Amino acid sequence: MTTLAIRLAAPLQSWGSSSRFARRTTDSAPTKSGVLGLLAAAQGRRRTDSLEDLVGLRFGVRIDQPGRLTRDFQTARSLDGRDSMPLTYRFYLSDAVFLAILEGQDSFLDSIVEALRRPVFPLYLGRRSCPPAGPLKTDLAVGTIEETLETAPWAAATWYQKRTPETIVRLETVVDCAASEPSSMSIRDQPVSFDPERRAHTWRSVLRGSVDVVNSKRGVADVPAHVTDQHEPMKAW
Amino acid sequence: MSDRTIIDIHVLQTVPPSNVNRDDTGSPKTAMYGGVKRARVSSQAWKRATRIAFGHTLDSSTLGVRTRRVVELLGEEILRQSPQPEPEAHALAEATLTAAGIKIKPSRKKGEPNESGYLLFLSRRQVHNLAGAAVTAQVQPDLPAALKSAGVKALADQEHSVDVALFGRMVADSTDLNVDAAAQVAHALSVHGVENEFDYFTAVDDHKSASDDEDAGAGMIGTVEFNSSTLYRYATVDVNRLQDNLGDAGAARRAVEAFVDAFVTSMPTGKQNTFGNRTLPDAVLIQVWDGQSVSYVGAFEEAVEIGASGGRLARAAELLAGYAKGVADAYSLRPVASFVVGVGERMGVLDAVGQRVSLAQATARVGELVANRLETESGAVPETGSA
Repeated sequence: MTTLAIRLAAPLQSWGSSSRFARRTTDSAPTKSGVLGLLAAAQGRRRTDSLEDLVGLRFGVRIDQPGRLTRDFQTARSLDGRDSMPLTYRFYLSDAVFLAILEGQDSFLDSIVEALRRPVFPLYLGRRSCPPAGPLKTDLAVGTIEETLETAPWAAATWYQKRTPETIVRLETVVDCAASEPSSMSIRDQPVSFDPERRAHTWRSVLRGSVDVVNSKRGVADVPAHVTDQHEPMKAW
Repeated sequence: MSDRTIIDIHVLQTVPPSNVNRDDTGSPKTAMYGGVKRARVSSQAWKRATRIAFGHTLDSSTLGVRTRRVVELLGEEILRQSPQPEPEAHALAEATLTAAGIKIKPSRKKGEPNESGYLLFLSRRQVHNLAGAAVTAQVQPDLPAALKSAGVKALADQEHSVDVALFGRMVADSTDLNVDAAAQVAHALSVHGVENEFDYFTAVDDHKSASDDEDAGAGMIGTVEFNSSTLYRYATVDVNRLQDNLGDAGAARRAVEAFVDAFVTSMPTGKQNTFGNRTLPDAVLIQVWDGQSVSYVGAFEEAVEIGASGGRLARAAELLAGYAKGVADAYSLRPVASFVVGVGERMGVLDAVGQRVSLAQATARVGELVANRLETESGAVPETGSA
């Protein structure tokens, strides 16, 4: 088994699995349909093309930098300004970094890496206004998703790593699992079709867990460990 | 076969105290990046400003292949989708165009299919969709009503082909009107941290202040929130997708030139009378790629410190140039061309990344490149349109 780890980082990104109409929400981690859509776009698949081989990949996410939920208020008017469309509230995760991991055949994952280097359609993280900050960093490794989640180095931004006082950090993970797994949850982000006429997603079972990863930048911080540069009086609570 | 062509536009623009884009509480929009609160102008705000600027700079009727022979054009596509005798296809094409509100008159040449009364621009996608609607409506008993309910008027929409091709369109109940955008505009972020400030204002009641026996109180008091920032703005145009959407290489060239000009020089109008904040960018970096588009926002993840010598703008230009070079080295990327538009000597550090030209020159050179890299069906290189 081979895994492909993709570092998803941008000032703003948004992954909606249950966002509807005028309130476009985001999950706290990338969705399988969002990431598969990104790969399909890189490969040049049209919305009406089949997704079977991509859906067959096992998917997991590690939340390296959780980011902050940001709400964007959006108005829309017709070009002449006369007609007003409904007001919308769109949510984004700002300042977040995720490691999306796909498990499958190494030849297929190789072709995906090539496609990400020369994408046929422009890439974006959940919404078109969220291009990734720089080319997507990818890493192929032998092993299962669980192994890669434990061994991949912490991909959060340098300033974030330096500011984190702990030497071992606990990062949350969301990984595909069998439906029979006792503590599994369901997310409706397994894409069936992106065809605009019959857009559909089904449920996938996931396990929420965590892994402990080394913070190698701790200790090279310019700030002494006992000083936090943000005054957080409510931290005790 | 066209060459893969992607245009990246990076802009550094300083905006004085202003509230160009505000949220529902009236505060200028912000976002956290690199752990620091940044000023933000939303992607949709600048896209609208760009669209409005199109109206001034781009005459949509000069785009692409103008033709009166729309009956023939549509008839061919109808024949392709649903083989039938040619006269029937032409009659159906005529009925469809009439239902779309386009006047049809006999051709000047005898024996030729009828023509529209005036020159029309129909993109390849529009022809395809109109033919699809016509073929579906053909089996209905009442053809004109069926065509009307198929919304052929919207399909033949003349007004906004360029806008739709660049920014896309999504219509929930008629997904065949959907167009995938060829342009991507990121949210503009300040390169440094900002704190929003409040301007406390009073409004004097003239009549009250003119009369002697009234008190000296104001008519109204309130606050306006604002901030000032040096913004990093990023947009990218996928020229091959644009050509697909518009159906014509010449139209794609003119659309790209218009987009570059409009995106760089436009500004959203939020609170512009209060703050008079209309500025032009201090630096524009335009890069043409043949592989993938790359945003340089990562250069500013560590917020530029206030009080840096040479000011924030000079430091931002340094960081942008450094990051561009860093990404090119790390990923072995080489742009097809790179142009820099800069104001004054301060932006000299960007000369290492691209050729310093004026905006008009950059737009013209990018247009030329696009034309050379795309091909018309006859293999000819599309000409630039007359002014």
